[in-house]
Amino acid sequence: MLEIKNLKASINNKDILKGLNLKIQSGEVHAIMGPNGSGKSTLANVLSGKNGYEVTGELNYKGENIKDIPIEERAQKGIFLAFQYPLEIPGVNTNNFLKTSLNSVRKAKGEKEIDTISFLKLVKEKASELGIDEKILSRQLNVGFSGGEKKKNEILQMKILNPYLAILDETDSGLDIDALKTIANGVNSSRDKEKSFLIITHYQRLLDYIKPDHVHVLSDGKIIKSGKHDLAKQLEKTGYKKIQ
Amino acid sequence: MNFEIKSEEINKFKEISQEEKDFRIKNLKYFNNIGLPSKKLEDWKFTDLREIISNNFKKLDTFQKNEKFSNFKILKDFEHNYIILLNGSLNSFDFSFEDSSKIKIENYTEKNLKYEDNKNSLVNLNHALFTNGYSLEVESNYKFNKVVIIYNFFSENVENQIINKKNKILVKKNSELHLIDYTINKSKFVCNNYEEITLEENSILKNISLQKDRSDGYFHKFSKNKLNKGSKYNQLLFSSGLKFNKLDLEADLLGEDTECNIQAALYLNQNQHQEIKTRINHLAPNSKSYQKIKNVLNSNAKGIYQGKIYVKDIAQKTDAYQLSKALLLNDDTEFNSKPELEIYADDVKCSHGSTSGNVEEDSLYYLMTRGLSRKESLRLLINGFLNDIVDVIKSNTIKDFISSNLEKQIYEYK
Repeated sequence: MLEIKNLKASINNKDILKGLNLKIQSGEVHAIMGPNGSGKSTLANVLSGKNGYEVTGELNYKGENIKDIPIEERAQKGIFLAFQYPLEIPGVNTNNFLKTSLNSVRKAKGEKEIDTISFLKLVKEKASELGIDEKILSRQLNVGFSGGEKKKNEILQMKILNPYLAILDETDSGLDIDALKTIANGVNSSRDKEKSFLIITHYQRLLDYIKPDHVHVLSDGKIIKSGKHDLAKQLEKTGYKKIQ
Repeated sequence: MNFEIKSEEINKFKEISQEEKDFRIKNLKYFNNIGLPSKKLEDWKFTDLREIISNNFKKLDTFQKNEKFSNFKILKDFEHNYIILLNGSLNSFDFSFEDSSKIKIENYTEKNLKYEDNKNSLVNLNHALFTNGYSLEVESNYKFNKVVIIYNFFSENVENQIINKKNKILVKKNSELHLIDYTINKSKFVCNNYEEITLEENSILKNISLQKDRSDGYFHKFSKNKLNKGSKYNQLLFSSGLKFNKLDLEADLLGEDTECNIQAALYLNQNQHQEIKTRINHLAPNSKSYQKIKNVLNSNAKGIYQGKIYVKDIAQKTDAYQLSKALLLNDDTEFNSKPELEIYADDVKCSHGSTSGNVEEDSLYYLMTRGLSRKESLRLLINGFLNDIVDVIKSNTIKDFISSNLEKQIYEYK
């Protein structure tokens, strides 16, 4: 699904990622853990194509180097980023936005645009699966949403856009246990052999609910250790210092 | 181009009284002394009309002749009454949804011929040369069933001319009228409009202004509004497709418990220049005014908002609010805002604010990660920025009509 080779990224002449290698197979869930400032969010941004970074190396996604492909085309090819801090977009209705978004993804895939009735049915179904109150969808995108609602809305968007590769950037931060379960449920119910997840997190708490196949430790722009699920447990006990 | 009107122009008005003739001559004299307003005048410091006219017109004749037409298509989007104006003149009207005995509509005739000093020389020009217009009166205790659209149609015959037109609206006690002022123009010309609105006790007037398409019209309107006890005035201004548009609006809140709301959602593109200048005079206690002006500016467009709130000493418990927000899409756009408060009462609530800025890159990034192109994302953000003004409209069919008109203009965004 995704193979990152010797990825380096800098912003304003500051090196952040310093030669990162990572391979994610279809159907796998990978977790990236690491201390503040290790480059976790930069990795998420570089994968989704955010402007402003100087990037070298290879980002092979489904057999294609996507390094120079614009943000929206990556999204249309099935890469989804759940934001750490989802933005508030005043005046834009959440449902309308989601429909436009879904249709641009479908169009890129050569599929027919979805009509309003089928779309609303889909949204209703996905929202109820996640236990999300549909009412938030008729509100302005993320405006006045609580922290938990914003994160749930990210996962709902993920469910609706149905990506091949979903990157969750600290989606668990600031969530109570119920919201955390909703998020985990959203991921777990989407897991299948065609989809992969990259979960970026500070704490192993989320990984109690989403069991990753692989856990990596990111430090100073590089992956310094990889292992199975028990690596997360170990980190929780010892902290990052020991490993660094 | 030097724009001066010779006094012989007045002689072209054949059937007017000596008194009216004197009134016109006096105003013309005043206008010729000052000329078209330039930025030397404080009220025009951001809009040098003299320069704008001389840069864009080789000649400008005064409009005299009018035509009649009958083949006019009205909107099918929602049921409405209508008034059709052709080049400013009353052409026809239809109030089939209403009790016609409650409505009086006729050609405008000037009754008040007392010369008044005015800071705006275009008002003098209008008094001197006005050729046409309408007067609309609503009897007491009558609430309109349907909205009235005023189709303001300008034909190709007005090219390179200046039209001076007037309109007067009187809503009598306890009555309610909703208007949509809909301009349809294809010509390059100047329209100098003078408007007088009087709201009697407890009456309500809601007015929406918009243009059908983008055009080379240069419009100026002076609007004088008088609000008596308990009356409410709502003015919504939408995307001006005009090359130049200045609204100079004055509202006298004469009685207690009056309310004046002015809101605008403007998308200005390609060298368009638009100014909204307001002066709200709170002259009695317990009155409210609310102004929210939103501008989106693209490719060399210029937007201006000058809003003054005056509170007289007796106007205690005044609640006045004004806010302007501008979204600048390019570096070559300009937005000027000049808020002014002049308050002589001590128990009042007055606030104002003004912000302008660029589109947030992070918001664009967020939308683009959902598969939308940069252009689509920008359109969504622009639409979202202006949307809360559209949401003020209660009727869904009218709201849809206004939103699609606004979207059409935003979708021209390149």
